[in-house]
Amino acid sequence: MKKVIFAAIYIRSYETGMKIFELSARNGMKELNHVINHLELGKDAFTKEKIGQEMVDNLCKTLNDFKGFMKEYGVDEYRVCATSALREVKNTRILLDHIRVRTGFQVEILSNSEHRFIGYKSVASKWENFGEVIKKGTAIVDVGGGSIQVSLFDKDSLITTQNIKLGSLRIRETLAALENRSNHYGQYIEELINTELYHFKKFYLKDRNVKNVIVSGEFITNLLAETGSSTINSSVSAEEYKKIYDKISNLTPEAAADKLGVSQENARLILPFAIIYKRFMEIMEAETIWAPNRDLADGIAFDYAQQKQIIKSEHNFEDDIIASAKNMARRYMAGKNHINNMEGLAVQLFDATKKLHGLGKREQLLLRIAVILCDCGKYISIAKSAECAYHIIMATEIIGLSHKEREKVAYIVKFKNGEFEYYEELVSHSNIGVDDYLVIAKLTGMLRLIEALDYSNKQKCKSTRFVMKDKTLYIMIESNDDIALEKEKIAERADFVQEILGIIPVVKQKKSI
Amino acid sequence: MEKKNFAKSEYYTNRELSWLLFNERILEEARDKGNPLFERLKFLSITSSNLDEFFMVRVASLKDMVNAEYDKRDIAGMTPAEQLAVINKATHNFVSLQYSTYNRSLLPSLKEEKLCIIKCHEELNEEQKKFVDSFFMDNVYPVVTPMAVDSSRPFPLIRNKSLNIGALLSKKENTVELDFATVQVPAVIPRIVPLPDGANGEKKVILLEEVIERNIQKLFLSYDVICAHPYRVMRNADLSIDEDEAEDLLKEIERKLKKRQWGEAIRLEVEDTIDKRLLKILKKELRIREEDIFKIPGPLDLTFLMKMYGMERFEALKYPKYKPQPVPELSEERNIFAQIRKGDVLLHHPYQTFDPVVEFVKQAARDGDVLAIKQTLYRVSGNSPIIAALAQAAENGKQVSVLVELKARFDEENNIGWAKMLEKAGCHVIYGLVGLKTHSKITLVVRKEEDGIRRYVHLGTGNYNDATAKVYTDMGLLTCSERIGADATAVFNMLSGYSEPKSWNCLSLAPIWLRDKFVSLIARERDNAKLGKKAHIIAKMNSLCDKGIIEALYEAASAGVKIELIVRGICCLKVGIPDVSDNITVRSLVGNFLEHSRIYYFHNNGNEEIYMSSADWMSRNLDQRVEILFPVEDERLKEEVKHILRIQLSDTLKARVLKTDGSYERVDKQGKVLLCAQEYFCQEAVKRTQEHKEIKHSRVFIPAGNEPRENE
Repeated sequence: MKKVIFAAIYIRSYETGMKIFELSARNGMKELNHVINHLELGKDAFTKEKIGQEMVDNLCKTLNDFKGFMKEYGVDEYRVCATSALREVKNTRILLDHIRVRTGFQVEILSNSEHRFIGYKSVASKWENFGEVIKKGTAIVDVGGGSIQVSLFDKDSLITTQNIKLGSLRIRETLAALENRSNHYGQYIEELINTELYHFKKFYLKDRNVKNVIVSGEFITNLLAETGSSTINSSVSAEEYKKIYDKISNLTPEAAADKLGVSQENARLILPFAIIYKRFMEIMEAETIWAPNRDLADGIAFDYAQQKQIIKSEHNFEDDIIASAKNMARRYMAGKNHINNMEGLAVQLFDATKKLHGLGKREQLLLRIAVILCDCGKYISIAKSAECAYHIIMATEIIGLSHKEREKVAYIVKFKNGEFEYYEELVSHSNIGVDDYLVIAKLTGMLRLIEALDYSNKQKCKSTRFVMKDKTLYIMIESNDDIALEKEKIAERADFVQEILGIIPVVKQKKSI
Repeated sequence: MEKKNFAKSEYYTNRELSWLLFNERILEEARDKGNPLFERLKFLSITSSNLDEFFMVRVASLKDMVNAEYDKRDIAGMTPAEQLAVINKATHNFVSLQYSTYNRSLLPSLKEEKLCIIKCHEELNEEQKKFVDSFFMDNVYPVVTPMAVDSSRPFPLIRNKSLNIGALLSKKENTVELDFATVQVPAVIPRIVPLPDGANGEKKVILLEEVIERNIQKLFLSYDVICAHPYRVMRNADLSIDEDEAEDLLKEIERKLKKRQWGEAIRLEVEDTIDKRLLKILKKELRIREEDIFKIPGPLDLTFLMKMYGMERFEALKYPKYKPQPVPELSEERNIFAQIRKGDVLLHHPYQTFDPVVEFVKQAARDGDVLAIKQTLYRVSGNSPIIAALAQAAENGKQVSVLVELKARFDEENNIGWAKMLEKAGCHVIYGLVGLKTHSKITLVVRKEEDGIRRYVHLGTGNYNDATAKVYTDMGLLTCSERIGADATAVFNMLSGYSEPKSWNCLSLAPIWLRDKFVSLIARERDNAKLGKKAHIIAKMNSLCDKGIIEALYEAASAGVKIELIVRGICCLKVGIPDVSDNITVRSLVGNFLEHSRIYYFHNNGNEEIYMSSADWMSRNLDQRVEILFPVEDERLKEEVKHILRIQLSDTLKARVLKTDGSYERVDKQGKVLLCAQEYFCQEAVKRTQEHKEIKHSRVFIPAGNEPRENE
């Protein structure tokens, strides 16, 4: 049986920690150790936009200690991820270098969507109730120190995800001056949250019927345990939660920590967290609050185990990505049939030309997303659709895609409509690497070809096969329609396709009558 | 129903007085003619060293309180000044009893056994005088440093607990003016000086201070020695280190150690025949009060009797030496980890050998699959094989983390040495925690096995000290339970300064959770009793003096819980208070071995729970130390622990029972089987070893059966 000892190290705004797991197909993820240092990097990051030397020293010491802990369990593989605390500071690169030199760790900065996707993955795949819960209208509220991520589900699939820049630590630091001076501290926190929630509700919630809120964040298990339900993965009704909240909110931070059995060093974070949970429940008018008790480290380890095929997931995450891309396309009024048709062609084309482009499964997914989003720019300006599409994609989070991947999609869509830029031009205003650039170029070539195949937007080339012979790509179209326009467009784009992909597209139409 | 107040001070005994009663119980053993003579010497010696420690720590701290005008009342409602007054009276009485035991009982008995301690040098015969004089010139003279006091030489610093001889001198030409001089009895020379054997083979000895006294003139040649008498000073020794200010704890303790010897004098022992003029000088220079002077009718510092115990030729006057027995479940040659995997192993020291614990660390150090060893060390023996194994492990590339508690009383110097050595070997050494003493005894071994990572844990009630494990009764548990392993990992995370775990599986830790755990365990029995269910607590520990716990016990007892306590030392709980503690019994076992294990039994409505711990029910254990309470979960082992408790509760020979008036009395033996628990466990362990051997060495072929099988 294959067993891997894996360490997931996370650097969050309110704590730095490490979980060591034994990953195996038989036992899944077995947690061996969880070490936490309550290191509030966010305190520096969110107020001064830099992390001070003392914090950095402390962080490096902690990471070096972690190395010792890793040896204790003979860790085979590890991943070190940092979230908003290191992402949002001005001196990120310098910090990462310091850390690398002093600890040997190469820290990955997770973009918000990667961070949330990892968290979401661990909830969705390792939590046995997940499938059941999301059948009804469900929101996942993932509360961190720096921000909150809200993801909405409708009939099993993820439809949107939004990031709200209000985490527990950020709230506490924003209102730090009021904490000790005012008796209405809780009220101020609520007001601060309400302002942000107003827009969220207006644009995204509308009249969705959210019955369940799955909460992922600190203390939620402790809070729910207060009702007496002792099982992990437990849930309580909104009313019950309100009762616990009322009890806790009247206590001093220290007393609240005692009551919840939470370490004293975390005492002052309890109230911000508890209020955030409460406000979301109220605004969504949810009936039940769930706490799957999974954290970022579980997610990082799960992500690894899944990639290495140690653990298989029951939930298909690519479907989530596709679903949210489609939901986005709908928002910008893309033609559904057009998109679905092109998506099918794109997959075929990609697979048929695999030997030449050498790209993998993930790139295929990127191509599909680019196809889905290829017309979104037109919603704003038909003339400048390339530019607009680029900006829309860059500004919209697609859970499951990293920032870099999203950027690739944005360029592919941009180059489909607009002028293609060569690497030397592109690097003058972007920091895309060569490898990524080549992916963009190849997928752009494919996308241009695919678009040409449904240029009339009438799905004339529904049954099409792609056959490669040497350098020639035969596009076998079974259609009784007149596909002159499509042929013309393909011919127009053949040079570009040949230049980028090294293939010569040749159309063969076969009429059935 | 009105809630009863169990906190009244009249329900409690002062802890110092209770401790003195404990020392009296040991003294009783020294007076007990039923004990072998040399064992009685040992007991008397123990009372003496115990009393020294009591003064240095407890009396000193009370004196500090009085000096600081701190007058908070204790658990029994006494102010520090009131306590000191009663302690003073009690200790004076105690010392008289010690010396009457020595002079009237032990000395004559020794003489009968042909061992004669010559009381003073004047009693020596000519031949012996010649012998001691030459002994003095050859061995003593080169190492003593006589110090005289005059206008140019101030009164010297007299070292804590050292034995000295004070003398008055007069200049040869001036007989009126007297000078003070002092000389320390050298600690490097054994205090017992053997003399040539007498007629009929009688062994004779004299104490070193008498030899010096006789020859003292040789140290002050230009003076006449008017008189010379031994004296001994006790000083305040309680270290209270301000850890917030100490940048480096290690350095701070090293510094404090040097300072400790010069603390305030709190007790002066002098020979009862001391010259008044000499005493007056000592009194003035040491700034000691009249009531703190102890006039001793015999040799000062009876701890020399421990050395006497070690004398050869008298084996018949001692208990036969007991050899700790092997643990049947563990055989030395085999892999200890494989044996633990078969099931949890309970260790009962010293009846069973401590070797498996040492072996556990040793094998871990050598084992190719072991990744890490983590251990807490509190008091370690000189040349500890555990330390050597840990160092070896680090050299073999294992991750080794050791928490060395530097604040172990009187052991600091010792511990700093080990700690430095381990660091050199490549271990990760943690020097204790700020503000807390780490008293828990836990070892974690992480091993990579075929079916994954497995953690092996040893938890104990006593220190990782192979020397004391031969004389202290302690319990230990070897296990590879996943739940305990995960908790053990969390314990070491916390000890390395990382956050507490989100939850615990089965260990409870002081100072954060342990008190609540005990209180809730006691409360559960109380609630069961209230519901008319059977409720029973048995607890064995060294000391019981935490008010919160005692209150909980009173409350439980008054609700009908049967409570049986086995408390070796201090017990601030009172028995037999109507409607408060008439359901509680307390017994104390004082025997050849020092009772040291802590076992807690709760009936839990038939679902019995048994725990063992490094912690007593003392406030300092529950609030200021890192302690661990661990459950015994294996049914077989639970039965074994219950058996151990039952035997201790049936002891009729060494047990004393606490009476309503606060005194301790021996068990009324009428109609009971004569039983000494310690003796019983020794015999039982030997018997079990033999049985085990018989099974192992049985080489007889056993036929499968008499009937021929049908299918063959």
